[in-house]
This record gives sequence, C-alpha cells and structure tokens, in this order.
Amino acid sequence: MAVVQPGYQACTGCSLCLLACPVWRATRDIRLTPHGRARALQCGATAGELAASIDACTFCGACEPACPEDIGLVAMMVDLRAELARHAPERVARVRNRMEQAMGGETRATVPPASRAAMLLVPDKALRDDPALLKRMAGLLGASGRVAVTQDDGADIALALEAGAAIPDARLACFLAPLRRAKRLIVGDGMLIRALRGWLPGVHIETLGVAASSMAGVRDKLHASDLYVIEPRAYHADQERLVKYYDALRASLGCSMNLDLQRLAIPTTAGSLPAQLGRNQVDVRDQARWILEGCEVARIVVEDLNDIAAFAAVTDKPVVHLTQLT
Amino acid sequence: MEIPVIEPGVIPPDHVAPDALQGIRRQQTNPKRWDGAGWTGFAEILRSAGIEVIEQPTVRGAFATDAGGTAYGMPHGVVIARNTAQVAALLRAAQTHRVPVTVRGGGLTTEGESVAFGGVLLDMTGMSRVLGVDRAGLTVRTEAGIFWHSLAEVLRRQNLDYLSAPLNLTSSVGGTLGVGGIDVNSARLGCSADQAVSVQVVTPTGDIVECSDTQNTELFQRVILGYGQFGVITEATLRIRPYTPLRMHYFYYTSLRMAIEDLQLLDRNDASDYSGILTMMDKVVNLLVAFDSDARKAAFMATWRVRLRGHGEAGVALRMMAYYALHPWRLGEALFLYERRRRLFPEFRRAEYTRDGRMFDRSVVFSRAVWKFWGGRKMVIPDLAASEEKFVEAVLRGNAVCRKYFRHYTLYCVGIKLREDHRAHYELSCVPPDARARAYGCEFEPMIGDKVYARDRLQSFKNEIYDIGVELGTSYYRFGGMMKGYIRRVFGDALVEKHLEMKRRADPAMILNRDVIF
Repeated sequence: MAVVQPGYQACTGCSLCLLACPVWRATRDIRLTPHGRARALQCGATAGELAASIDACTFCGACEPACPEDIGLVAMMVDLRAELARHAPERVARVRNRMEQAMGGETRATVPPASRAAMLLVPDKALRDDPALLKRMAGLLGASGRVAVTQDDGADIALALEAGAAIPDARLACFLAPLRRAKRLIVGDGMLIRALRGWLPGVHIETLGVAASSMAGVRDKLHASDLYVIEPRAYHADQERLVKYYDALRASLGCSMNLDLQRLAIPTTAGSLPAQLGRNQVDVRDQARWILEGCEVARIVVEDLNDIAAFAAVTDKPVVHLTQLT
Repeated sequence: MEIPVIEPGVIPPDHVAPDALQGIRRQQTNPKRWDGAGWTGFAEILRSAGIEVIEQPTVRGAFATDAGGTAYGMPHGVVIARNTAQVAALLRAAQTHRVPVTVRGGGLTTEGESVAFGGVLLDMTGMSRVLGVDRAGLTVRTEAGIFWHSLAEVLRRQNLDYLSAPLNLTSSVGGTLGVGGIDVNSARLGCSADQAVSVQVVTPTGDIVECSDTQNTELFQRVILGYGQFGVITEATLRIRPYTPLRMHYFYYTSLRMAIEDLQLLDRNDASDYSGILTMMDKVVNLLVAFDSDARKAAFMATWRVRLRGHGEAGVALRMMAYYALHPWRLGEALFLYERRRRLFPEFRRAEYTRDGRMFDRSVVFSRAVWKFWGGRKMVIPDLAASEEKFVEAVLRGNAVCRKYFRHYTLYCVGIKLREDHRAHYELSCVPPDARARAYGCEFEPMIGDKVYARDRLQSFKNEIYDIGVELGTSYYRFGGMMKGYIRRVFGDALVEKHLEMKRRADPAMILNRDVIF
C-alpha cells in the first residue's frame, strides 16, 4: 500500500532541509528552500508568488529524507511547478521544444515486447546520447541475465515532470506499456525512477548506479583511492534503503563518496533543468569543488554522465563513468 | 480595566508571580507589538544603502514563530544578513528611527526570543561562511550565522571537529554563544559559549568591535551568554579539536536519583568523555557514557563500571516487566514505553552512523532522533540549571510537575564545566550563581505530539517548574521571552538594575532584541 506523505502543512520549521539543499548552500536565502516554500504556503502564498523559489529547485531530492516530518517535498515541488505552468503556460513553452526533441517528434515505437522474465534497461538521456557507453552498459547488465534496452527512454516525460508540463495520457500509456511487462527495470533517470515507482507498483525498479556497481566486473575495478559520485535523485528517492547499500559499498572498498554527514548525496546539479536552461542558482563547479574538498583521491567515478564535465572542469584527476571501468 | 503604558527597557510587574493576580490563572507574557512608527523611513534608508528589505507577508510569515510554536509575531520586514558592514548600517538606522531589531539564527528558541513582534527581523543565517581554519592553533574563524552542523561539515573534511555544541543540527553559532549551548561533553569541556576565543560584535549603535578575554573585555563578558542584549555576534573564533568517533555505552536505571548520583560521580572523577541522562518519563532512565579513545574506555571499565548501579537493556526490561506485572492498571504506560523503545532505540544504532560500537556523528544521530521523536509544532522545554548539590532535588521536584501535567515526557540532564576565569560572563545567565566547578542542567520536555493544549496550560506547567527554581535558588537556560517575568525573582533587583543600566548605555533606543530580557 502506498504511503501518503504529509504536505507542507506539517512543516515545523526545523530547517533540517536547509542543510542538504544546494540552493541554500549557494544563496543562503531561506526563500529559495523547501523550508521557505512550506512556510510561505502555510501563510497563504500562491505558486505565482513563489515563482523564483520554485524555479530555483534542482530536484536533487536531498531535502526529503532530511525532513523529520516525512513531508513529500519532491511531490510538493512537482505540484508547484505544475501549478505554475497551468497559470503561466508560456513558462513551459521554453522547454516544450526540448521535450519534443527528447521524444523524437513522434510517439516512439518501443522495443520488441519484453518477455516477463526480461530485465529492461531504461537509460537516461545522457546515456542514450552515447551509443557506445549504452552498449557497454547493456553488455554489462547482460552478464547477469537477458537484458533489453528500451527505445523509448521517457526523457520527454522526465523533462515534463521537472518542468511541470502536462503529460498526455496517451503518451504516458505508450511509454509504460512495455515497462509493465518487465520483471525488473533498471532506470537511469533519477527523476523518472521516482515517478515509475508510483506508476508501476508491481515492478522491481532499480537504479542504474546500484545495478552497475553491484556487478563484479565493475566492483572489482573500484579502488579505495576513488571518489564515487552517487546520482542524487535516484538515491534520495529511496535513501532509507540505499544508504545501507552504499554504506556497505564504501566499507568494503574504502573509497570516498559524495555523502555528507547526514549520509545525503551532495549533488553537482549539472543535469538539472535550471542548469540546462542556464538559470541555475547553484554554481556546478563550486559544488564539484565542495565534493572534492578534503578528499585525497586518484580518480572520480560518476554514476551520472552529466557529472563528468562538472568534475573535469575543476580537477585534473581522471573522471570516468561507471561503465567505463570495464 | 486600565492598562499601564510601559516604556521599553522597563521590566514590568511580575505577571507570573503566584500572588500577582490572586484567583486569576497565570497568563503568558507576550510583549506588545511595536506600532511601526518610523518604519517607512528606516526601510528607505536601508534600501538606499543597497540592503534588501523583504516585506512580503508570506516571507515575513515564515518567521512568525520559533521552534516553541507558542509565541507568534510578525516583523514589519526581514533582512537577510550578508556582511558585518550591512548589520552595522542596519543597527545605526534602527537607533535613529527607534525600530526594534530581532536577531535570529536557527530560530530554535522556545519562548519567542527569536520572534519579532514588529520591527525588523535580522536573519543571520545569511552569514554562514567558514572564514579560515587554523590547524596548528586548533581554532576556526567563522561567520556567526552558520549552523553548527554546517561548521562540522567543513571541519570534518580536515578530520577536525568543534568542541561542544547543542545536539541539534540547526542551532547557529552566534545564537548559541549568546545563551550557552550544552552537549554531552559539556561536563568535561564546558558549554559552547566558553569555546569562543574571540568574537566580532556589532554593537546596538552600529560599531564593529572585536572582543575577547584580553580585548574589549567588558563587551566580551556581556555578549557571551548575554541573550543578544549587547550586540550582534557576526564572526567568532572558536576552539576546535581533532575528530574522534565515540565509543558509546548505555546504562539503564529505574531510579532518577540513582542515575543522577552516578552521573555526578562520573563527572567529578573525569571518568568519561561524554555523559548525560535521557529518560522516558521517570520509568526508564538512560545514562549514556562515551569515550574518545579505547584507552579512556578501558580505564573506565577497570575503575568505574563496577561502581555504576545501572543495568543493561535486558536487566531493565526484566525490572519493568516485574513492575508492570504488579501494577496492571498501568498497562497503557507499559505499552507506550515498549513502543517508544521499539522505535527509538534503533535510531541510536543506525548502521550508517555507527560501526563496531563507535558512533561517528553524534549530533546527526541525536538531532535526527530529537526532531523525529520529540519535535512538533509546539514545544515547551522549561529547564532548571542548578549547582551540583541542588540538582537532584531540582530534578525530582521538576519530574513530579511533569507527571502532574503530562502522561509522557522526557528529561535530559547534563553537567557543565565552569571556567573560573569566565565568572563575569556568567552574571545574569543560565549559570547558577552558587555553582562552582560544575553546574547541571535539566530540560523537562513533555511529548506533546499532535495533542492540543491551551497555551495557559503550557504556561502553568512552565511556571510550576520555574517556581521550583525560585525556591531553590537555581537559574534557567530559557529565562527570556515569555519567561522574562521570572528575571527579577531569580536574579534579584540589584543585579537586574545593574544590567539594565548597562543595556541603556549600550542601546539608548533599546532596539536590540527588545523584550527578550529588557
């Protein structure tokens, strides 16, 4: 049974969400934080009045596991972006062409129907755009069973979720149909993985990072001198479970990770919508430097391809994607 | 009814004295809201100086209450502090226009001390940068709006740590230095305020002054533990230390007195690096003991363990079962304790923070638990700060008051090592005047949860706890804000008048943190 999370009304103003928020770290402006939004909503603010704050969020999701009241802060942001878009459709227009590009201009045919036993890889857009890496990843996962790769990666849907744009029912149904038949989904997009858990409650869904780092072929190539950079969106969507997985990984390898003292993943925010639109309140390079601060590492291994450029810009250490380890 | 006009800076007749209003229930003493005269000119001056003044109601509303959730007020505007010069300009303008300035860090006060009843609210969290770490000298210079946890995040990258800080991630450094700050190592290292080597202060008239034990000493004495009456702390140099994880041990008691006596035994003999008491009512009393090194732990085990009268978890469980078997009408309480234990104890042993019996991030573990299991929209945490000799009686009497008012509550007790050379800092503070080497503090925290209590009931509860302090001659951590009616009764007219005179000299328009103390 799905657990209904409390809404903004439950915010007590403890400020714990601030500690994990990259926008807070960059601006020190409470108005641009989950705390500021929740309290403003309690005071009767409308989405329009909170537009600057709503635009600033990078959807890293770190605030949600930090919240002692278990408020659905990510869902709150999705709703706020959607409400903002409803009242000001022109705001979504600027991402509409990106969505169309992501979708390929037409509703995609998908892979040959996956059998019930198949593992289905739903790559994120960055991985999709790098066919060689995608092939390696599929090959890697294929070592543990038959794997298919969806032609339809749902990048437009992920973008719509982040932008607050409406997702046509037909489009969503088309995207989900083959996924329903899979027993196990490996999902690359952190924004999508959270939504898919709600849309496909019976399907086992795993993050690409966990699936790849579980493989002996990858794990054997990770070293104690590595900085392992977890993709924050997928991690925070299931932090209660994944903190144990990554903690065990860190203990067994001795490597560093982009986890803070609360064991929340520090994001670069490189792949976020504000970053794509050039409106990021967060300095991606500054975040990368902050992650690196105090780390004596020889190499940086990232789960999210968007992070490669972020780290490469601030360090001369090699930066590689998980799949490039094999 | 004639309501007398009270000038700012005058402590009014004691609203909460038992004989103040015979036959009338004691009332909460919220201050009157400032009327806004001069606000427009003040805001214009700030804006012309390039300072953003936020006046949208929804933003101001975010600051309408504090962690206590019982005092509500609205500032006329909010300024997010960005640098010391800006704070100085704001205070100069506030003096000119007589605009009250309420300074807020983490907003974790419970008596409305960080709530603005009109005027400008200065949000210090905008000044949150760490300015420099001196690894050799083991000090850190930081902006004072920083949360202790954010400071820890920076220090830990260099395998360093602060000395002691409240077990709450969002306490700010400046706010803590202004009131005290206790940790489970305070019996050994003192309160957080005593860790300050020097501070940069903006006085109520807008002067920027660096002060320490050797520089501008009098201001240092008034600002540290001064409840924000004599200046805004904008930067601080703090002592730090190499980071160590904790070796934790828990001992369980069914007697409060016994647990406190054992706590004091350990503290007197420097037998542990960390010590404190956390209870589930007075039924399960947990004495936590921890160490920075295996050597210290071994010394404790060899000498002191056998002298403690506490039990392990299984031992106390057996005793509880026996007790409730003989008191079956208290089954509800037994079930509460069982459920509480089932949910709470694993929080202190989460694998991601604890490994091989060592706790890696005590403030994260405790703060998470505090907010998850004690936090809520309303919190009242009256406390008593007593000398070592008076502490047992203070806690036992306070515990009886808790039992009278609430079904479920928690007590949190720790020792605080005092610095003889800082005795001047302790004047009119939470440190009881008769305490010498060490003082003790106990917080009495009802578990309010989703229950709704009238504010008068909560106030009456606090009053009964504080009345104990008046009788015993203790002090309090939270004597400001809504509890300021106790100040004269506890500290005496002579001392209050002395500080009021100093306040008037330092803050002629009485604008800084008005109604917190003066």
